[in-house]
Amino acid sequence: MDMQFTDVGGVTKAVLGGRLDSFSVGEVETRFVASIVPKEQPAVVDLSDVSFIASLGIRMLIGTARALQRSNARFAMFGANDAVMEIIETTSLTEIIPVVGTEAEALAVVTG
Amino acid sequence: MSEAEHTRIITVARALDLVPGDRLHCLELIDCVDSNRRHVVGPLGIKIGRTPPADIVLLDSEVSRSHCFVTLQGDELVVSDLGSTNGTFVNGVRVEGTVPLPIGSILQIGKRSLQHECRTRAEIAESDELDRELQKASAYIRALLPPPTPDGPIRCDWAHVPCARLGGDAFGYGPLGDDLFVMYLIDVAGHGAGAAMLAVAVMSQLRQHTLPDTDMRSPAEVLTTLNHLYQMDDQADLYFTMWYGVYHARYRRLRFAAAGHHAAFLVPPDRSQAIAVGNRNVIIGAMPEATFSEATVDVPPGSSLYVFSDGVFEIVDKDGRQWSIADFERLILEPQVDEMGEPQRLLQGVHEAATPGPLDDDFSLVVAQFD
Repeated sequence: MDMQFTDVGGVTKAVLGGRLDSFSVGEVETRFVASIVPKEQPAVVDLSDVSFIASLGIRMLIGTARALQRSNARFAMFGANDAVMEIIETTSLTEIIPVVGTEAEALAVVTG
Repeated sequence: MSEAEHTRIITVARALDLVPGDRLHCLELIDCVDSNRRHVVGPLGIKIGRTPPADIVLLDSEVSRSHCFVTLQGDELVVSDLGSTNGTFVNGVRVEGTVPLPIGSILQIGKRSLQHECRTRAEIAESDELDRELQKASAYIRALLPPPTPDGPIRCDWAHVPCARLGGDAFGYGPLGDDLFVMYLIDVAGHGAGAAMLAVAVMSQLRQHTLPDTDMRSPAEVLTTLNHLYQMDDQADLYFTMWYGVYHARYRRLRFAAAGHHAAFLVPPDRSQAIAVGNRNVIIGAMPEATFSEATVDVPPGSSLYVFSDGVFEIVDKDGRQWSIADFERLILEPQVDEMGEPQRLLQGVHEAATPGPLDDDFSLVVAQFD
C-alpha cells in the first residue's frame, strides 16, 4: 500500500494507493493515523488509486475521522472508483464520512 | 526427584536455550488450531504430502501424495517440489528446482500454508501452551454455532472457516416463537481474540433473546439496540456488520435488515436468479444516534436463502482479479452438486477460484432451504 501526505493550505491531504486489505492495514495504520490526527486540522483522502478496502480499512478510516472530530476538524474522502464505491455504499460509510468525486469538492467539505 | 532438583534442571535448560544457534527451524501451519500444527525440521528434512509416509500429512485434494521436501542446507531451510500436480509456492511464487525458504516466509501447498519460524525450545513450549488455549477458545466459539438442521420445514446448513485461529464471524438461527424463524450473521471487523470476543458477546445475547426492551421479531429494533449497546468507543474501536432476518411461515414473508452488511440472496426453486435481500444501514457501533430501517420479501415455496460474510467473496482470483459480490452470485447460480451440501460446494468453488493458500478473511455461509 502506497501512502503520501501533503499540506494543502492547512488541510492534510493523504493519497493512498493499492489494496487496503487486512494485511496492509496492519502495515500502514499507525503511520496513517499519526500523520493526520495529531495535526488537529481538516484532512482529505484521495482514494483514486485504491483498488480494494477491507473491513479493517474501513475501521482505520472511521477511527481517523472520529479522532479528528474530537478536535472539531473535518474529514472527507474523494475519487473512489466504482468497486471501492460499492464497498463504501454497502457499509453506509457515507453517513459517517463524506465521500465526494473530486479533490476540490472534498476541500470544500472540510473547510466549508 | 526433589523440588530443588526439579527447579535446577529447568533453569539449566532455559539457559541453554539462550545460546545463539540453539534455535530450531519450524514449519507452522497457519490456519490450524490443532496442537500438532508445528513441525521441527531436523537434519533429515521433512517430506510433505497428502498421505503417509509423508512426515506432514495434509488432507487436501490439491496436495499430491508426495508433494515437496523441506530440508536444512547449512543453517538455512530450502524447499524442493517433488513433481506435484498443483505446485509448491513460497510467498506466492511457484517453486522451480530448489529454492530458499527464508525465516518468516509462507510455504503454500494446496489450500494450506505453513510459516517458517525459528524458535528456541522454551519459545516452543510457551507457544504450544498458547496454542492449546487458542484451541480451547476456538472450540468454544464453534460450540456456540447451531448444528445443521437436515430435517423440518426450514433446513439449515453452513460452512465456517476462520482465516486466523480465532475469527470475527458468528451466526445463528432457530425458532422464535410460533411460526417464526430467526437467522443472523455477525461480522466483526478483523479477526483474532478481540474480534472473537465481541462476536461471542453479541451472539450470546441473540441466542438467548436477551436484548433489553427489544422486540426480537423486529430486525430494525434489534439493530438499534445492538448499536446502543456496542459503540466502538466502548469496544476497543471494534465495530461489526450484521444481517438479521425473521421469517414468518404463515405468510411466507421474511423481515430483514442489514447494518453495513451486503445483501443475502434468495434463490427461487428454478434457480433462475438470485434476489438481493438487503437494505442500507450504517455499521453497528459507529454512530450512537443512527436509525435503522428494515424491509420484507416474500419467500416462494422451495426457495433457498444464502446469508454470508464478506470473506466469502472478497478474494483475489488466480488471475489477480478482485472478486465482488456479483462473482459469488454467479457461483451460487451454478448447478448444485449431488451428495454435496450447498455450503461445501460454495466453499470449494471459492477455494478453487482463489489464489492458493488460506483465504484472507473469515468464510461464513449459512444456507436455509424452505419447504
